[in-house]
Amino acid sequence: MPDPIHQFEIHPLIPLKLFGWDVSFTNSSAFMLLTVVLVASFFMVAMRGRSLVPGRLQSMAEVSHEFVASMLRESTGQAGMKYFPLVFTLFIFIFVCNMLGMIPGFFTVTSHIVVTAALAGLVFLTVLTIGFAKHGWRFLKLFVPEGVPILILPLVVLIEIISFLSRPVSHSVRLFANMLAGHITLKVFGGFVVMLLGAGTFAALSPLPLLMAVALTALEVLVAFLQAYVFTMLTCMYLNDALHPGH
Amino acid sequence: MPDPADDRRPGKRPMSAKDAAAFEHRVSDLGERLDKVKAQRQAGADAELDAEMRGRGMAYGMRMAAELVGAVIVGGFIGIGLDWLIGTKPWLFLLFFVLGFAAGVLNVMRAYERMQKEIAARTGGRLGPTVRDDED
Repeated sequence: MPDPIHQFEIHPLIPLKLFGWDVSFTNSSAFMLLTVVLVASFFMVAMRGRSLVPGRLQSMAEVSHEFVASMLRESTGQAGMKYFPLVFTLFIFIFVCNMLGMIPGFFTVTSHIVVTAALAGLVFLTVLTIGFAKHGWRFLKLFVPEGVPILILPLVVLIEIISFLSRPVSHSVRLFANMLAGHITLKVFGGFVVMLLGAGTFAALSPLPLLMAVALTALEVLVAFLQAYVFTMLTCMYLNDALHPGH
Repeated sequence: MPDPADDRRPGKRPMSAKDAAAFEHRVSDLGERLDKVKAQRQAGADAELDAEMRGRGMAYGMRMAAELVGAVIVGGFIGIGLDWLIGTKPWLFLLFFVLGFAAGVLNVMRAYERMQKEIAARTGGRLGPTVRDDED
């Protein structure tokens, strides 16, 4: 049976060392670079015309812009639009990485927790920085819900702090786990087809897992979009906490 | 569609009672057919929405699991860290593990509230082809 984990292996393409650290250019880096190049060139080509009546490419670019912008505006109000570049970059990067991962033989960058944790950590630090810069120590009110009896307040504050600190964990685990699980399932069902084909009379059963793999592929495309959406949505919500800690 | 009644449209000349009845019949027949097509379209849209929400169900489940487990892990690690700093092994770990669980439940409750809002916004309160809102 083909190894379902094999697709996640990282191997250096250009070995590099920096102060004793291994900073090789790996297949993962290559796909990140590919994503960035694809996205950048798509938007540059799409927006080259800048016509009042958009063409096909320009419509795609405008729809994606409007999609993220309305998501951000709904959860943070106009005050959050300052951080639109960050949110839009996150969404497009994750979405294109997920979608590239759906192409057979391609590497899925977001199936590694290192990558998703770095992205979630970036959001977490941004939220902390904005929160303290805008509200100073009043930002800590986020941990003190109103209307709690003074006796159990310390306990509640502790729980709120743990809840806050667990955000980047669940934020990153969700994206990584979805991509990992989906790709392993696809590979396992694909493996079943191959195994059944080599199993004599049981080969007659091989269309069944093939059908399943086809259905799963459709589901995975949905998940790839949905997880990018969920990651961005949560980023918007956390930003909202930083901008309006009272609510 | 070739229709023998085609040259007897209303308004061209006064209709006999029979023609009027036939016309009424055709109008109501057309109305019925339109209703049928509309119902089919609605059912198709409902089924599509239902399938989409099912696909989302898995994502929602994963999200809940991540919310709960994430908080427990963070609580546990804070406890281990404080134990290591103060030397109270293993008491703070036990305390923060339980607090982490509480935080996880809090996270799940909050995520659930958000989810309900999202689902309501997406489906307009209709969760499937069989569950309809009375107020419609």
